[in-house]
Amino acid sequence: MPAPQPSQDWSDRSRQLSQLLSRAGLGDRAAFATLYELTSSHLFAVVLRICRDRAQAEDILQEVYVNVWRSAGGFDAAQSQPLTWLTSIARNRAIDGLRRAQTQPQLQSATTDNDEDPDVYDTTADDQPGPLDLLSRASDARALSHCMQDLSAPQRQSLALAFYDGLSHAEVADKMGEPLGTVKSWVRRALLSLKSCLENAARRDAGARG
Amino acid sequence: MDYSRPHLADLLAADYVAGTLRGPARRRFESLLPAHPVLRAAVNDWQARLIPLTGSLAPQKPPAAVWQRIEARIGGAAAKAPDAAAKAGWWERLALWRGIAGVASAAALSLAVLVSSPGPAQAPLVVVLSATGETANGSIAPATFVASVSADGRAMVTKPVTPVSVQADKSLELWAVPAKGAPRSLGLISSSGTTVVKRGKVLQDTAAFAVTLEPPGGSPTGAPTGPALWVGKLQI
Repeated sequence: MPAPQPSQDWSDRSRQLSQLLSRAGLGDRAAFATLYELTSSHLFAVVLRICRDRAQAEDILQEVYVNVWRSAGGFDAAQSQPLTWLTSIARNRAIDGLRRAQTQPQLQSATTDNDEDPDVYDTTADDQPGPLDLLSRASDARALSHCMQDLSAPQRQSLALAFYDGLSHAEVADKMGEPLGTVKSWVRRALLSLKSCLENAARRDAGARG
Repeated sequence: MDYSRPHLADLLAADYVAGTLRGPARRRFESLLPAHPVLRAAVNDWQARLIPLTGSLAPQKPPAAVWQRIEARIGGAAAKAPDAAAKAGWWERLALWRGIAGVASAAALSLAVLVSSPGPAQAPLVVVLSATGETANGSIAPATFVASVSADGRAMVTKPVTPVSVQADKSLELWAVPAKGAPRSLGLISSSGTTVVKRGKVLQDTAAFAVTLEPPGGSPTGAPTGPALWVGKLQI
């Protein structure tokens, strides 16, 4: 099973995935099976990180791919990278799943009452990289790496908790022990700083090529 | 809130993609996406910026049962690759071009002109056939074809959005492409004006329509012989 590598494969595989998606869009099941083989481990990692319950993560992954099969024809290679498109679908489902899990009775969780388990992150941190580790690994992608350095430590941490673990502003504030308004503005500034930094990098790239 | 204001759209899209837009606000935002190109573009941009961050997550292989459940739900066991590779026809190749080229499709189409609705009964089905990027010796402009199929599937009207120039010694042939099996010819179509195609069961088993470049008079073999220049998937 080819596993997605952190950086270079990200763009290398795009072409192949685009082709598979197009064929799946025309009803080609074999192409869809290959697409699943190539991408499901990455999507499962994304979903599992957010929803943490394996059984629920499996259900979500199933929904994601059924959805992809039905809407593969709607994928537009001019608008998105295929893995970005697929990962976004998975993230959105996983985040929707969080909402549902919160409004449904907990069947398995050991948490009591409506108390947000304060250790939900720490308990899994032992054998999993923390959100900040993930950010620095993702930073192998060159422009992103440079831009991450522009963020302050709390900006990075709040963005990482929100993005990787699917925590809401309020949950991030809880975890960091900071006021909600402060956390909101950290996340927002982190996002805007990344945006302008990445746009500058793209302009420089374009200038260098032209 | 005025979602068409670019700055606000951008902030909301950032929150949406980062995952911090939650609850009713998230649902409302999602429901607005189909009708708001500014929001959609902002979401695409933010996805391109942020989603690569997921590249650092260690892959987690899902259990085999997940794929089995997916297979069951999409109907029928997916034949694993080998057979398909052997049968790779032009429609697979055209899918490939479509993927690479991203399809230089005309974004804004006024479909209303074409769709002369046949009475108040059921609305006809409109299919947009986008250029595959294949240029057939550079002679074909990357225009778009629009096809309208009557609700009962017995008649079809095709028309290029802008006139298409085809070499004098070539014809354009329209095909109904099933999900499985060989394409069926629906006859020749005009490169400049409206063509009315009357065939029984135009829609039966049809997954997509395609237009190929053929010798004058159409494919001599009954199967497509030339490059597929336009393709449009049927969305029912």
